[in-house]
Amino acid sequence: MMFGLALRSLRHRTGAFAAAFCATFLGGTLVMAFASLLDTAVADGVPATSRETLITMAGVVGGWGLIMVAFSVTSTLSLAVRQRTDEIALLKSAGATPAQIRRMIVGEAAALGLAGTLAAIIPALLGGRLLLDLLIDTGQVAPGVQYAFGPFALTTGAAVTFAGSTFAALLTARRTTRMRVTETLLEAGTRSGRTSRKRVVFGLLFLLLGADLAVVTATVMRGEGSDAMQTAGQTSIWVAVGFALLSPVLLRASARLLAVPLAVAGAAGYLARHNLSGRTQQLSGALMPIILFTGIATGTLYMQRVDDAALAAEGLRASVEQDNIKTLNFVVVGMLVLFAAIMLINTLIATTMDRRGEFARQRLTGATPRQVLTVTGLEAAVLTVVGVVFGTVAALCTIVPFTFARTGDPLPDETPAVYAGVVAVAAVLALATSLATTRRALRTPAVEAVAV
Amino acid sequence: MTPHNGEALRLVAVRKEYGTVTALDGVSLSLPTGTFTAVMGPSGSGKSTLLHCAAGLDRPTEGRVFVAGTEMTGDDETALTKFRRRRIGFVFQRFNLMPTLTVLQNVLLPRRLAGMPVDKARAVATLRRVGLGDRLNHRPAELSGGQQQRVAIARALVTEPQVVFADEPTGALDTRSAREVLALLRETVRRDGQTIVMVTHDPVAAAHADSVIFLADGRLAGSMLAPSPEAVAERLAHLGDDLRVGV
Repeated sequence: MMFGLALRSLRHRTGAFAAAFCATFLGGTLVMAFASLLDTAVADGVPATSRETLITMAGVVGGWGLIMVAFSVTSTLSLAVRQRTDEIALLKSAGATPAQIRRMIVGEAAALGLAGTLAAIIPALLGGRLLLDLLIDTGQVAPGVQYAFGPFALTTGAAVTFAGSTFAALLTARRTTRMRVTETLLEAGTRSGRTSRKRVVFGLLFLLLGADLAVVTATVMRGEGSDAMQTAGQTSIWVAVGFALLSPVLLRASARLLAVPLAVAGAAGYLARHNLSGRTQQLSGALMPIILFTGIATGTLYMQRVDDAALAAEGLRASVEQDNIKTLNFVVVGMLVLFAAIMLINTLIATTMDRRGEFARQRLTGATPRQVLTVTGLEAAVLTVVGVVFGTVAALCTIVPFTFARTGDPLPDETPAVYAGVVAVAAVLALATSLATTRRALRTPAVEAVAV
Repeated sequence: MTPHNGEALRLVAVRKEYGTVTALDGVSLSLPTGTFTAVMGPSGSGKSTLLHCAAGLDRPTEGRVFVAGTEMTGDDETALTKFRRRRIGFVFQRFNLMPTLTVLQNVLLPRRLAGMPVDKARAVATLRRVGLGDRLNHRPAELSGGQQQRVAIARALVTEPQVVFADEPTGALDTRSAREVLALLRETVRRDGQTIVMVTHDPVAAAHADSVIFLADGRLAGSMLAPSPEAVAERLAHLGDDLRVGV
């Protein structure tokens, strides 16, 4: 019975679930594309060095992709569930038991995960082939190696997207259903919610791990040349993930700090300030990808530049292995950054569309469309600033120890243009997405939208 | 000097068409300042459309709307909003309070948005009058439906509007809260000379008004002074008959 309800609710709430589907689909594509390199590697007749490159590529890059995918699937799914707090409260008051609601939520997630995995097979196949071509073109894999898509790709893909989304739904569902009916209804009103202690603990753990890696890079890896990348490269990712997990806490604290400049922006600034402190949980969903994007992109790009410059200074030419690492670095950055960007757009559209009723209420209270746009614009600006600040800290955890290990200086002698570019992309993505979505949401007349 | 001669709202031959459907078919009316008017009619009679057009939430296809002598103009949403927020207050069935703001902040919001001076003392006084002086720092979700609607009424009054439009203000309330809310609306008319236009389908609610305007098929179908619930219900039940006779 609950599964039937789950399917029906999926069909009727396409908007809310589009983001979650998008995440499982893209995640599935990514993970399966890299996992198919394993299928390719284990085939008969693949030369040993090619096999090793393929396995490293699949392991390292695919591994990071896996973490990102798990992250985005979990966050978009819990967003989709949280957005329906009032619907769940209604079901509860209509007599649905917690177990029934859990089954409904998990059923939805399972259906989404399955759909995402199936839809991802063809794009993953094409993507994997493209990756192999890239590796062959750059001379890292022998020309004769045949592409294969098989059990590794399929099982990993299904495990990550299907099992991952189901597990994420289980966690969120448990949290939602543990609340009493009145509490749920109350939360439907404010939707602030608290950050779970588990999340804080994990966030701090990731930060500690990142700090540890930074120290190792600066001390143990000092004078080890390009090998320092092995520890330095991951540092910004761990730190960024740590900050991302802590994003509701970071946003709440930053909102308090930014209250003063926002007060200058009149009524819109006033509303933005209250939204940032009252809807932290929802808005922090968009903060996570900004931190990940800025941190990973800046960290990895500068690390590679520093290494290139150091090699040139030493009068060395990059070896094949170093070229491998370089390709790997750029693929990691490209992939993670692309994923973070999509996650950002995804989250912003989902949260903004979910606020149609709120926008309508603002308008009926006397806000002009421009005032509503200013509110969301200011919120996006705050998210960008906070995200860029913590992303930069994460990036510095890679850049400073690596530069020190490689050159003895704490900061690289590199152009700030790359950093400016990364920040500009983050800002444009956040502002453009949220303004365009708000403008779209404002097209519905307020009296109709308020009933949503 | 009163250029509008004590007239709070005036509609001149207002028509509203949605595609091929005519929701309002040339409605003209005039409501004096300081009156409490209920608009009634069967569902589909155009009473909500009338309220939306009169309150500047929607543009009539034809006809003119005057609020306290000033014609409602403006082609875009921004112009309409600016017109509305200085002259019109709203009370809705679903309260429409901002969940992240406290009671007091909600009441002050229309003035902030309109760029008017934020008069906290006055807002507090208004909230005391609606019986919520001890709930200033609560959030809407912490209040009962009746209390939320009283916050909404305080919010509607805080800009000192020329007309307050109430759209089924008791539709989501229990009988007792509904009675309190209606008494409060009556009181603002009697004591402050506020003008209120209320759309309702409930004869008991309509009986709190000074007069009732009946609407059927997008046209005025009579009015009643000093209404009683029984008389209103009786009239409503026979609205269709009158029309059939008229054909």
